[in-house]
Amino acid sequence: MQSTHHAIAENSSALVAGDSRPGKYLVFHLGQEEFGIRVLKVREIMGIQDITAVPQTPSFVKGVINLRGKVIPVIDLRLKFSLPEAEYRARTCIIVVQVAKESGAILMGIVVDGVAEVLNLTAGDIENTPNFGKGAETPYLLGMAKVKGKVKILLDIDEVLATQDLQGLNGILQ
Amino acid sequence: MPVAGGEIGVIELREMVDEFATRLILTGVTSELVADMGRFSEQARESGFADTVGIAAELIEAMNDVPPGSEVDAGIVREFSRLQASLSNESAAPREPELQKQTKQEQTKPEQAKPAATFSLMQDPQLVGDFILESREHLASIESQMLVLEQNAADTSAIHPVFRGFHTIKGLAGFLEFAEIQAVAHEVETLLDLARDSKLAITPAIVDVVLESADYLKQSLNCVEEALAQKTSAVFGANRTLLSRVRAAMTQSPAEAATAAPDISAAIEPATAASAKESKPKAGDSFSVRVDTGKLDHLMDMVGEMVIAQSLIRHNQTLTAAQDARLQRDLSQLARITNEVQRTTMSMRMLPIGQLFQRTARLVRDLSRRAGKQVELETSGEETELDKTIAEQLADPLMHMVRNALDHGIERPDDRVAAGKNPTARVRLAAYHQGGQIVVEIADDGRGLNREKILAKALQNGLIQEGAQLSENEIFQLIFEPGFSTAEKVTDISGRGVGMDVVRGHVQKLRGRIEIQSKPGEGTTFYLKLPLTLAIIEGLVVLVGANRYIVPIFAVKEMFRPTPEALSTICGRDEMALVRGSLLPIVRLHRRFDVQPRSEKLCAGLLVVAECQGRQFCLFVDELAGKQEVVIKSLGESLKNVAGVAGGAILGDGRVGLILDMDGVLQGTTHE
Repeated sequence: MQSTHHAIAENSSALVAGDSRPGKYLVFHLGQEEFGIRVLKVREIMGIQDITAVPQTPSFVKGVINLRGKVIPVIDLRLKFSLPEAEYRARTCIIVVQVAKESGAILMGIVVDGVAEVLNLTAGDIENTPNFGKGAETPYLLGMAKVKGKVKILLDIDEVLATQDLQGLNGILQ
Repeated sequence: MPVAGGEIGVIELREMVDEFATRLILTGVTSELVADMGRFSEQARESGFADTVGIAAELIEAMNDVPPGSEVDAGIVREFSRLQASLSNESAAPREPELQKQTKQEQTKPEQAKPAATFSLMQDPQLVGDFILESREHLASIESQMLVLEQNAADTSAIHPVFRGFHTIKGLAGFLEFAEIQAVAHEVETLLDLARDSKLAITPAIVDVVLESADYLKQSLNCVEEALAQKTSAVFGANRTLLSRVRAAMTQSPAEAATAAPDISAAIEPATAASAKESKPKAGDSFSVRVDTGKLDHLMDMVGEMVIAQSLIRHNQTLTAAQDARLQRDLSQLARITNEVQRTTMSMRMLPIGQLFQRTARLVRDLSRRAGKQVELETSGEETELDKTIAEQLADPLMHMVRNALDHGIERPDDRVAAGKNPTARVRLAAYHQGGQIVVEIADDGRGLNREKILAKALQNGLIQEGAQLSENEIFQLIFEPGFSTAEKVTDISGRGVGMDVVRGHVQKLRGRIEIQSKPGEGTTFYLKLPLTLAIIEGLVVLVGANRYIVPIFAVKEMFRPTPEALSTICGRDEMALVRGSLLPIVRLHRRFDVQPRSEKLCAGLLVVAECQGRQFCLFVDELAGKQEVVIKSLGESLKNVAGVAGGAILGDGRVGLILDMDGVLQGTTHE
């Protein structure tokens, strides 16, 4: 969590030396856009499989799956980002990510439309998130990468699946 | 002959040597060495230290020559180094002229001879940790042996382990410079030495003071442990009064001792050999490894997956169609092995229940004494194993029930005689397996439960209505209601408001239940029925639409396909079903969980009659898919608070099914 705030601080100022953002990113599709998450966060990628729905959870919580004997929650990233729901196809897959929580790292699955590639991004490829105006805080955006004329949105997956969000989720349940 | 000052030192050395010899026998070191030790011990007794130093030096030499292959365990090495330390202290002194009479006593206790080194060893957490562990083991055995002694004061064979226990603790405490612990252990040891030599009879007062000392040592060990964790030096409670009481016990009238004295003296000599045999199984117990529970859980996960993978392979159509006898044989071999692996993994979390029973033995003794009742405790099935978590959480309820039996169940001796019973009451603790459960029985032969009194009390507390028709079992179950206590007066043993309801709460948390059998005048038996493990649950797999849920079987009373006549509604909204003469509310699982059922019609589905927290209701599901044992898995931190869901389970096809929390299912419904 510390490093995240660090990164945000850098985002708001001009690009400075010691930028933690360059590195390898896994790029995936979601609707028309392409997103990237740090490869180090990714544990594995699996095809879509039967997800057991858990009652009384927000719609973006698809349910739970069995990951080699462990039960892990699965989140539909389309629904999480308020994109229109899409039917799961052959290319749809679940990316299992390791998310930092207060109590330690936990595994979660995110459903995406498809995985594209792994990119090695340098500091020069990454631009800061444009300012969308006051009030629109976007802590889960690390920045934008422009590769071969296409923009890829870099996500801080820890923030996307942040604790307060899921606590809010628990609040809804109770 | 040694002078008075040196005698204590000699006794101490002799004991040390004896202990050393015992350990040698245990580890199977050659008899030659043991004989040497005997000779050495004999000489020490006869002549004092000076002459034995030479032999000791030889012995030490010989010990050093023990081939590295032979198993000289840590105990020996430790004991040996203590002996060595003691000797080197001694050898420094006695070679000087015969002036040592007064100083000798001091030198035999190395920790007093070198105060400068205080706390040097205490800083070795490994050593101190070992000390705590070993001392606790000794204290546990001391406690049980003292209780044996109390029953049968002439049983001198029981004194020896107690003596040795205190002796070892004293030695180790001295070695580690815990002066307070050492002082207490030393006094008790001296006391026991007198008893051993039949100079002192074991009276209840002595048993008391020894047990009290054991308690003090236990507390001190806790202090040491705490200090170790916080890396500070230990602060011990005051032990002055205790010390003086131990001393006072020693000066008990010799006349009393004389009565107990005859016929025992002969039994003392061979005791060392006998006690060596006794402690043998204990040595076996210590071959264990501490494993992080996280690793165990991971292993369980993996084994669970292996079982699923194995079953998938086994039922693979291509393989089952194959006409290969060899393949089929190998497959069933694989299945057998997998099952065995699973069973072993499960058993790694198991502990024998005997330790719990041992703790109650002490409780029974103290309480019966205080209440002026004569009680004999009988235990059986100590070796029955149960899940570690259950064992830990069962301790409190078990203690409470034993306390209750002693306080409420068992009459005073004169009342018992008047009722034509043996003045000594019996309390029986038994554990055994029955139908995939563990049953812990707590039986007393006291006055039994009084139906009328319970009913009157329940009426008074508003627990039941006037004129309610209750079965015997229902009446007995009333004692588990909050705030219920039939004790007319509050004693310091029980009847303090927290009572059987807490016990039931604990047992239910462990997914167990309590049954009672009682006959007026003959006694009461409580049966605690507990699952074998908390990690596994037996459940009914039910279907609602495409979803599978697991209903814990302990919550299920029965299930049936309803007929239209059995159904009714209140204000056209709340649905009820008539089950065995009572109207029970219906909870539609598909509405509760907002999923699509196969059919909305109640008559097309199945009603599962469930009971939780004493309330019954019917759960409406599509159909039953089967009964299965599943391993309970958490849904993870972010989903742990989902109302109505207790967790997940991996079903036979590798997919996840949700385990229902029936209480949550019902409560969520009543809020709507």
